[in-house]
Amino acid sequence: MLVGNAAGTVPCLLGAYLLTFNDAQLGGLGPFVALPSLFLVPFLIGFVAAFVWRPLHLGIGMTLAHSATCTAIGLVSAGLFLGEGIICLIILSPILLAGVMAGALIGRLVFRRKKNSLVLCFAPLAILALVEPGLREPHTGAVIDEIRINAPPARVWPHVLAFDEIPDPPDYWLFRAGLPYPTMTTNGGNFVGASRACHFSGGAVFEEKVAEFVPGQRLAFDIVKSPPDPELIGHLDAYRGQFELRDNGDGSTTLTGTTWYALQVRPAWYFDWWTHDIFRAVHLRVMNNIKRLAERGS
Amino acid sequence: MFHFVVHRLRWLTHVPLAPQFFDALLLAWTALVNRPRLRAIEALESAAFELPGVAPCLHRFGGIGFAHDGVEFAHLHGNGLLDVHLTRERAAALAATGRAAPHHVFGPSAWISFWVRSPTDVNAALGLIEEGARVIRLNEKASAPGVGRLES
Repeated sequence: MLVGNAAGTVPCLLGAYLLTFNDAQLGGLGPFVALPSLFLVPFLIGFVAAFVWRPLHLGIGMTLAHSATCTAIGLVSAGLFLGEGIICLIILSPILLAGVMAGALIGRLVFRRKKNSLVLCFAPLAILALVEPGLREPHTGAVIDEIRINAPPARVWPHVLAFDEIPDPPDYWLFRAGLPYPTMTTNGGNFVGASRACHFSGGAVFEEKVAEFVPGQRLAFDIVKSPPDPELIGHLDAYRGQFELRDNGDGSTTLTGTTWYALQVRPAWYFDWWTHDIFRAVHLRVMNNIKRLAERGS
Repeated sequence: MFHFVVHRLRWLTHVPLAPQFFDALLLAWTALVNRPRLRAIEALESAAFELPGVAPCLHRFGGIGFAHDGVEFAHLHGNGLLDVHLTRERAAALAATGRAAPHHVFGPSAWISFWVRSPTDVNAALGLIEEGARVIRLNEKASAPGVGRLES
């Protein structure tokens, strides 16, 4: 079990180690050899583990049970030795478990047939696991949310610029599990280029710079510095945000919040779903607070 | 779910390892929610590989493949659905008596499908695999080249 995990972890550690060099030292190959593919590494962990488990003659149920244990060891190891955050590991665990199980079940059949060899035809998978990430571009996207506020834009706008500590406890399950959530926003000036800061729980701060300022209508900002959070580093980069107000003409305002982001992890469809779910929770926490403040003011 | 994936998401078979991932999830689901079925699958697998000349292989659409001399003649999906290649006549006769069903994708053909739902189904399933192995042995000289090109 441990050998299987170790075999899968080696390329991860190699990739992480190579990332500590700068690109010139690696001749531009750093990104090419780092961050092994998310699907293939778990598959290889299970596949190699099945090779090691051959003498145990495991049935299907025991293979699945060993795969689950193997996955747990992998997750704990990633937390301890690779510095991964617990939320990332929660998000990663279904893919890791499915990959390890698939690799172990296939390996079980393959090694039952060819009892004494590691089957070199699967070697290209190991190479692909290292090479594939270097071939991909960062995946970019935007999360857009909209709420209606029963107050005119003039009452909403001041609370868009800055607000004190949000009194509501977090209601999103990942916030309750430890994912930092927005608590307050400070504003360094009402002009393009002014500094802003969005404070999250646990002392995390996103430093921002105002990129567009149209009073009562639009506030856009670039996120110039993200907190050094293991849940974000190397995975997700939120690089721009925007609030837009639309006067509904009936004394109410439609507030639209947008966050632009770049994903470095794959599969994009999977992590995109999580990114939207998390950013939506962030948006709604902030926007519902703005709604509460604006409607109370009216 | 299985039928939806098999019929509507067939393109996934072109994605390397995707069928194997799907079948691994099916097996895990079976292990979680239907232990008698998992026990039956395990018992059938063990007994089938004890049959002379029957060896494991990878079914290209995921699942446990049963082969004779490198030619796949049966496979067992993670949800307990067993597909066996026989002869057209024998498959039709089994379907007519209700002892098996026409193949879940091909329909009436030389393939039959049989649900392994509990340990009581193991003997009947093993009988079908034995019959499939016998048929493939008889067909060997007719050079049946592989599951994808077997008579369907």
